[in-house]
Amino acid sequence: MLRLIANRIAMSIPLLLLVSLIVFALEALVPGDAAQTILGQNATPASVAALSKQLGLTEPWFERYGHWLAGAVHGDLGTSIINGVDVTSSLATRTGVTLSLLVPGLLLSAVVGIALGFAAAVRGGLLGRFIDLVTLLGFALPGFWIALIMVIVFAVRLGWLPATGYQPLTEDPLGWLRSIVLPVIALSLNGITAVAKQTRDAVLDVLEADYVRFLRANGVSSRSLHYRHVLRNAAIPVVTSLGLIAVGMLTGAVFIENVFVLPGLGSLATQATLDHDVPLILGVGVVLTLAVILVNFLIDIAYGFLNPKVRVS
Amino acid sequence: MRRPLRGMRRSSRPARRHRFLPAAVLASVLALSSCSAGGATRAADTGDLTMQFEGPPVSLDPAKAGNGGSTTFVSLAYDPLIYLSGDGRLVPDLATSWGFAGDSNTVFDLRLRDGVTFSDGAPLTARAVVASMRYFLHAGGGLVGNVGHIAKVEALGPMKVRVTFADPNPEAPMAMTQYNGMGNIIGPKGLAHPASLLTASDGTGQYVYDGQDSIAGNRYVYRRNDHYFRPSAQQFDTVSIKVIGDPNAVLAAAKTGQVQYANGSANTVDAARAAGLRINTAPFYNWALNLVDRTGKVSPPLADSRVRHAIALAFDRSTIAHGLAGAYASASDQIMLPGTDGYKASLGYRHNVARAKRLLAQAGYPHGFRLTVLTQSIIDPNTNYSQAIAAALGDIGIDVTLRVESTGIAQFTGDALSKQYAATIFPNVGASMQATDLQIMSGVFNPFGSSDKELNSLLARAAAQTDAGARTDLYQQASRRLQQLAWFVPVFATKNISYSSPDLEHVTSSVVNPNPVPVGPTAAYSWRLK
Repeated sequence: MLRLIANRIAMSIPLLLLVSLIVFALEALVPGDAAQTILGQNATPASVAALSKQLGLTEPWFERYGHWLAGAVHGDLGTSIINGVDVTSSLATRTGVTLSLLVPGLLLSAVVGIALGFAAAVRGGLLGRFIDLVTLLGFALPGFWIALIMVIVFAVRLGWLPATGYQPLTEDPLGWLRSIVLPVIALSLNGITAVAKQTRDAVLDVLEADYVRFLRANGVSSRSLHYRHVLRNAAIPVVTSLGLIAVGMLTGAVFIENVFVLPGLGSLATQATLDHDVPLILGVGVVLTLAVILVNFLIDIAYGFLNPKVRVS
Repeated sequence: MRRPLRGMRRSSRPARRHRFLPAAVLASVLALSSCSAGGATRAADTGDLTMQFEGPPVSLDPAKAGNGGSTTFVSLAYDPLIYLSGDGRLVPDLATSWGFAGDSNTVFDLRLRDGVTFSDGAPLTARAVVASMRYFLHAGGGLVGNVGHIAKVEALGPMKVRVTFADPNPEAPMAMTQYNGMGNIIGPKGLAHPASLLTASDGTGQYVYDGQDSIAGNRYVYRRNDHYFRPSAQQFDTVSIKVIGDPNAVLAAAKTGQVQYANGSANTVDAARAAGLRINTAPFYNWALNLVDRTGKVSPPLADSRVRHAIALAFDRSTIAHGLAGAYASASDQIMLPGTDGYKASLGYRHNVARAKRLLAQAGYPHGFRLTVLTQSIIDPNTNYSQAIAAALGDIGIDVTLRVESTGIAQFTGDALSKQYAATIFPNVGASMQATDLQIMSGVFNPFGSSDKELNSLLARAAAQTDAGARTDLYQQASRRLQQLAWFVPVFATKNISYSSPDLEHVTSSVVNPNPVPVGPTAAYSWRLK
């Protein structure tokens, strides 16, 4: 395990460097800059040039990147060009919001998706077909559209839950719960369907395996067979899909955060990109890269737990 | 009897059914919703105001801030010298009186209000105002071009300020309002550390920006300023601005009472009205096809004024306006909108496709030509407006390719200033000819730096004119000259639409001020909840 952790940390350093460099280069390719954003459409080229110089945007790209990198390795991600807020504190605030969506969203995807997929495979028949249909619908309907419908129904018509906004967990736990119910459901719907489909297929495969037939012939109870053997062996591809879903949710959060006006990393990334706010863009890039590394790391651990062969290797 | 393998057990009882799960989920939802009873109206009950704006502020530093609807971010914390009310009147604020010294419209004096203090505790004095104005002029903000060419700012006494313009500027009082930056006065402490203005305010306004409770780009919170000079004008304990960009989310927030004031759109206005929200409208954007390449460097046909006039005749403006936004748009055939200084009803381009084709033929383009037009999908969502303009040009044989910038206005601006595009689609705004002229003769409206002697002469004479009637006449002549040049082809004007709670009073807007702010120097001008 220690070797695995050391390997992952060693791999993450060049990955972070590469990602930050790519993000920096891509940002440079987008027309306009932060000075143009600040001065607006009526600015003269002279005033844009003057402010660009003041902001240090006229320095060669490698110097600007070098300055950022020098600060970043000391834990200083700089301040926003546009609003002067410390990038690290911005990220800390926003990461909490995004985690408030991702963690419950992933749990919901896993629990409901596995339950549905497992039921569809084991029960079959009408129930199985119904679950298949529901999962197909879940794939077809985009999350942001479902989010809009849920806002209309549950916030505007019924008034049960807030249409927009976020309450920090530490300030108002009930308000926090109310503010994340709709976004989490909207965010996890695609995940639930993907996990359900994956679970159903994997469970059906395992149920066909010789050792399952052997266990059944030995009089092992269905409950023990399903939960202790089939589900565990079917879990490996499901865990893989959960990892992919977790990464996909980071992108999905951009849309969901915009619909529900949540101050998370997704909306921060969008606004920072539109503003050409390079320190913020790079900061978000670093956090998202770390999140992907962490997810992969957790998946590796889960593989080890589920499959002894992986542990040995 | 065979025993089961180790670790395996026979089934001893049927699996327990979780019948209670759906009921538990439903009960939780109901409990959550019942706990929220009254949540939607909480702000109104406690004297708090929550507003919506579609994006974050350009800057919270008044010298680098934006105007239009974004003005509110600054106005809550910084008083202007002169207040422009929603109905377009100039009202004393930090300046109690003002006027030109002499008859050249260049020397402008302001008398300051006594007994006013900044939130940093410093008193409002002429020296403080001069320091703030000088900072504004050199901070590099985008509004500096709106205030005219200023030669000198000086204190004539402890409470008197003189602003000397390099050129006559009859719109000096307007330059000192909350919409043009210079009149929003910053305290000495803030000026000593300008970076601090991004996270904390230092003005004399009714509220103080709370950077701790705000989340940049999402929520901006302002708390009552206990040192405000006229407490009777303060109507709220807290004012918050939520950044909500999606029009459907805006509508949902307004309908559920999460915000009491929000920017509207033509697509959601009917639903807002049906929900009982108050609809406020005022003409705002004058959408135009801007023929910026007047010497034909990128598109040679545009150098010929007959071609530009042919383009101006291609539009059935009333039909386009009605088709695009119904009652929330109107035909616009000249650079100024009705109700503004410089508009003249008898002027304006007409719709005449046959004549347009004749003009094109006379110019040597009987079969039209190809034209790439730069536009954007930020304030022209789905480019509906741009597509309508392009389709009309197709009727006279001009094959338009729209180059759409969808990432942001800054990107659009960068493209427009690159001199690679002969024409752009972008609206102008302006309550007077002088303000409009400052706008359309610079930046994205004039990237190639065109100028016209006759137009400049008319505007210079108007600027020096002390008689308002004579000045209006000269402004109208300038409108006529702009029509002759056909550099700008207005097509339609869209209204600024906002939604307010029926409980919110004193919200007024006009063509002169389509973006009202919730604070005013007296209770009569400040918004309040019933």
